[in-house]
Amino acid sequence: MFCLPQQESTAPTTCTGSASTQDMDSGYGDGLQGECLRKPDQTQPKLYGVGDPTATFSSDSSCLSSRGRVIKWFWDSAEEGYRTYHMDEYDEDKNPSGIINLGTSENKLCFDLLSWRLTQGDMLHVEPSLLQYPDWRGHLFLREEVAKFLSFYCKSPAPLKPENVVVLNGCASLFSALATVLCEAGEALLIPTPYYGAITQHIYLYGNVRLAYVYLDSKVTGLNTRPFQLTVEKLEMVLQGVSSEGVKVKGLILINPQNPLGDVYSPEELQDFLRFAMRHKLHVIMDEVYMLSVFEESLGYRSVLSLERLPDPQRTHVMWATSKDFGMSGLRFGVLYTENQHVATAVASLCRYHGLSGLVQHQMAQLLRDHDWISQVYLPENHARLKAAHTYVSEELRALGIPFVSRGAGFFIWVDLRKYLCKGTFEEEALLWRQFLDNKVLLSSGKTFECKEPGWFRVVFSDKENRLRLGMQRMRQVLEGQSQVVEDASPCHAQEPQSQPR
Amino acid sequence: MSENRNEGSSQAAKANSDTQTPSHFKVTHPRLRDQLKKKSSKKKGFKFVQEKMLKFQHVIRNQFLQQISQQMQCVPPGDQQCTQTSRKRKKMGYLLSQMVNFLWSNTVKKLKFKVPLPCLDSRCGIKVGHQTLSPWQTGQSRPSLGGFEAALASCTLSKRGAGIYESYHLSFQSYEAYQADKYHKDKNPSGYINLSTSENKLCLDLITARLTQSDMNLLDEAQLQYSDWKGQPFLREELASFLTHYCKAPTPLDPENVVVLNGCSSVFASLAMVLCDPGDALLIPTPCYNGFVFSSHLYSKIELIPVHLESQVPRSNLDSFQLTVDKLKLALTQAKKKAKKVKGLVLINPQNPLGDVYTQSSLQEYLVFAKTHKLHVIMDEIYMLSVFEPSVTFHSVLSIKDLPDPNMTHMIWGTSKDFGMSGIRFGVLYTHNKEVASAMKAFGYHHGVSGITQYKLCRLLQDKEWISKVYLPKNHSRLQKAYSYITKILKDLKIPFYNGGSGLFVWINLKAYLSPCTFDQEQILHQRFRDKKLLLSSGKSYMCIEPGWFRLVFAETHLHLQVAMDRFCHVLAEHKKHEK
Repeated sequence: MFCLPQQESTAPTTCTGSASTQDMDSGYGDGLQGECLRKPDQTQPKLYGVGDPTATFSSDSSCLSSRGRVIKWFWDSAEEGYRTYHMDEYDEDKNPSGIINLGTSENKLCFDLLSWRLTQGDMLHVEPSLLQYPDWRGHLFLREEVAKFLSFYCKSPAPLKPENVVVLNGCASLFSALATVLCEAGEALLIPTPYYGAITQHIYLYGNVRLAYVYLDSKVTGLNTRPFQLTVEKLEMVLQGVSSEGVKVKGLILINPQNPLGDVYSPEELQDFLRFAMRHKLHVIMDEVYMLSVFEESLGYRSVLSLERLPDPQRTHVMWATSKDFGMSGLRFGVLYTENQHVATAVASLCRYHGLSGLVQHQMAQLLRDHDWISQVYLPENHARLKAAHTYVSEELRALGIPFVSRGAGFFIWVDLRKYLCKGTFEEEALLWRQFLDNKVLLSSGKTFECKEPGWFRVVFSDKENRLRLGMQRMRQVLEGQSQVVEDASPCHAQEPQSQPR
Repeated sequence: MSENRNEGSSQAAKANSDTQTPSHFKVTHPRLRDQLKKKSSKKKGFKFVQEKMLKFQHVIRNQFLQQISQQMQCVPPGDQQCTQTSRKRKKMGYLLSQMVNFLWSNTVKKLKFKVPLPCLDSRCGIKVGHQTLSPWQTGQSRPSLGGFEAALASCTLSKRGAGIYESYHLSFQSYEAYQADKYHKDKNPSGYINLSTSENKLCLDLITARLTQSDMNLLDEAQLQYSDWKGQPFLREELASFLTHYCKAPTPLDPENVVVLNGCSSVFASLAMVLCDPGDALLIPTPCYNGFVFSSHLYSKIELIPVHLESQVPRSNLDSFQLTVDKLKLALTQAKKKAKKVKGLVLINPQNPLGDVYTQSSLQEYLVFAKTHKLHVIMDEIYMLSVFEPSVTFHSVLSIKDLPDPNMTHMIWGTSKDFGMSGIRFGVLYTHNKEVASAMKAFGYHHGVSGITQYKLCRLLQDKEWISKVYLPKNHSRLQKAYSYITKILKDLKIPFYNGGSGLFVWINLKAYLSPCTFDQEQILHQRFRDKKLLLSSGKSYMCIEPGWFRLVFAETHLHLQVAMDRFCHVLAEHKKHEK
């Protein structure tokens, strides 16, 4: 959660104190503004564990610009858990009491395989063109390999074309660049929540673009056959509501396989959403960064690139990266596939700020062309390891009687810890998150995914067995303590109805 | 300024000039051409039309620039007045382009020959490096006049997206033409030679050899995982030690003050984001490297205010293009009068395109000036190890013992130029200001460098023995050799030039070849070079206020330089003939 000025031109943002009187919570959570005005929440730093933002704002202001201070404050608060983790990382020998990170979505199960492949002779290759200014879309040899790779692994009906590929340094940059070229400042993109929360910052930092949340809930009733199910009706409703408030919606972001739900959209659902977008002339940004991390084959995952006919190919933009599927988040490699040459060119034009080393481009081309190794060695092994880790964590959760959502894709389980909250507020959720951290296990709380129900957490399971065991053990300790607290407080629970902060 | 061939030339020479100098106006039919030679009145008419077109282009460019900068500054949608002005401007731009369209069609009909139209696309004016005039070629289809309107109208891109789309075409058309048609001694002897992009191509052998040594291919888990967004700690430590050594810092530099991003453009853009609010301004002496203009508009939404320097200096104790505190003061006062909020001063040292270094005392003066007026100083020292003249001493801002205002002094460096690795995408910020360093972290996500690259750079920069004893001496002697070769030719041609013993380029004065001496003529000459498959950068793109300057990059292999200079001499000779 963070706070940025809605319009950069009205620069000096003082999200402190008195702003609360202007509360204009829209119900569609046009996030930044809302967050900004809800700032009084953060005057209780211990509840959110974000430190005291006013300290930053009141400090010597001669050096940073207003937006610079806001950026810094945001960063310091949003990264708090991660920073704490980095200062005290668990190490079996050197720091056995350090923090176990089950919060960051990284696949740490396959380094042995990757390290073997990335140190093969074909990787250490340097030639002049790799050292010089490149084609800003990415070197042609790499774009050719990416097109072949995606054609094959997305099972596209016709071969994909290298000219539709743009290479950047990661999906964060891609979100930022796409938002900038598709939307004007102040416009919005629809996104179903819970969603991968960092997108908020990606599209805002440079693009000044906001998110319009499509809140999904966990209850299975009537139309909802699954928890957190997205339907066209909900999309229509939110679009209408947001538009009626004068916010222009330019597109829809879909993450498939979903983060944090670990679920996939069926081809029929996909078609429905795409047709919805076409009806309203909305762009669709499909984030398929977990497409090869579907370890449960029965899910029948389909990439949007596999669809026989896209309703509106000129407005459908697909992103993929090696960060998750090849466990290389530190490599900073992401790709855009779009048939819209205007979009491809405009994004490429921003690539001088989001470029990737020529040497790494060579390595990626070598990796992606090695279909034999990928299909016969890497993917089967990766999926088997993911599945084993998933089985272990889900059994632990079942033993604790904790409900969860996860159907066999991604690196995480979406865990329902609502029964451990006394009043069911986000303050309590933040407190519980803090307790986990104090007990040296880092998780991600539902709030960071803009989940509207307090009490959900994302637990990443793609870690080595020893760390996973220890992490689960530490989690259990906290929860056992917490159930005692909830029991003791149960009378208060009965007296006060659940208070929703928004 | 139309084609005016030497009447007395032999048949062979004619054929030669026909094939090799399609240059500006290619006459489609030989008979028509003969007719034209006689009909000088038509020629005058044509000249008139073309000049008009250039004027239109200029007007439209200004309109467009204003419009873009307004868009970039995120005018609140509710601001009726601004929206109206912007709509008006758009309409005006549209009308003007319609007029030119009309002229175009009439010109073509009446004169019945292909006329290369000054490209309207270049009105965008946001150029990053390679050309000013549009790079259409005779024989190619003429550029689409409606391109901009089409992109604007196209509902798929936002307005600013359309602006970005246009700017790409502007900035990279020459470059893409070059990429698609590079000179090769045997395979493509008539391909482009690029002396426009500042790249050091003299030491690729040394760098390649170093980067393929076995120590480069080690991989550990940390390289593949999310890391510190300021840069991997091992690399920041190495950089602190590297900069301490090569910048001759009085005390060891602190790794915590180092921020690593993917290139100096990213560093500059992010730094401007955290130091300035939208609409704020930075002073920059011109002529200057033009890449920052784009960054400022596009991302940081700030303004660069030029401190114009002149080649003719009234006082004899000053060099040409010399920056003085008086000029800085004047520019600052004028900016303040216009209610600009000036937040800092950008200095490039060694200078681009002048190839000169600031003396220690003048550097100190600028820093004191900045402190007096509470300005940040952004020092771009990307050419700091490319000082090839042994008699020239470079003083890094990090070498200064008592910085007037360390908290507001920020230094940028990268390996692109000094190590000839622009394709590696690596830039670094050193700032004494912890708050700035920490705010810059927020940009690591969007401008991050691959862990593998960070490891390789660390190994490279660690190897001070190789850098100091092998790489730098060889690099400098090669640069010096190429420089001597080029400058000898320039001297023979009596072309004045400017370089103070550093950088990869000479700043040359071709005013003698322009008549009249205008930016339009500069563009035309620039286009003539391009037609001859030689890319140079024209002074206009460096915000130089005097027409007639060009930047010529000499850090090219000898063979390429030879061919390039042949073409250069040829174009100038032809051009001189045409102007007579």
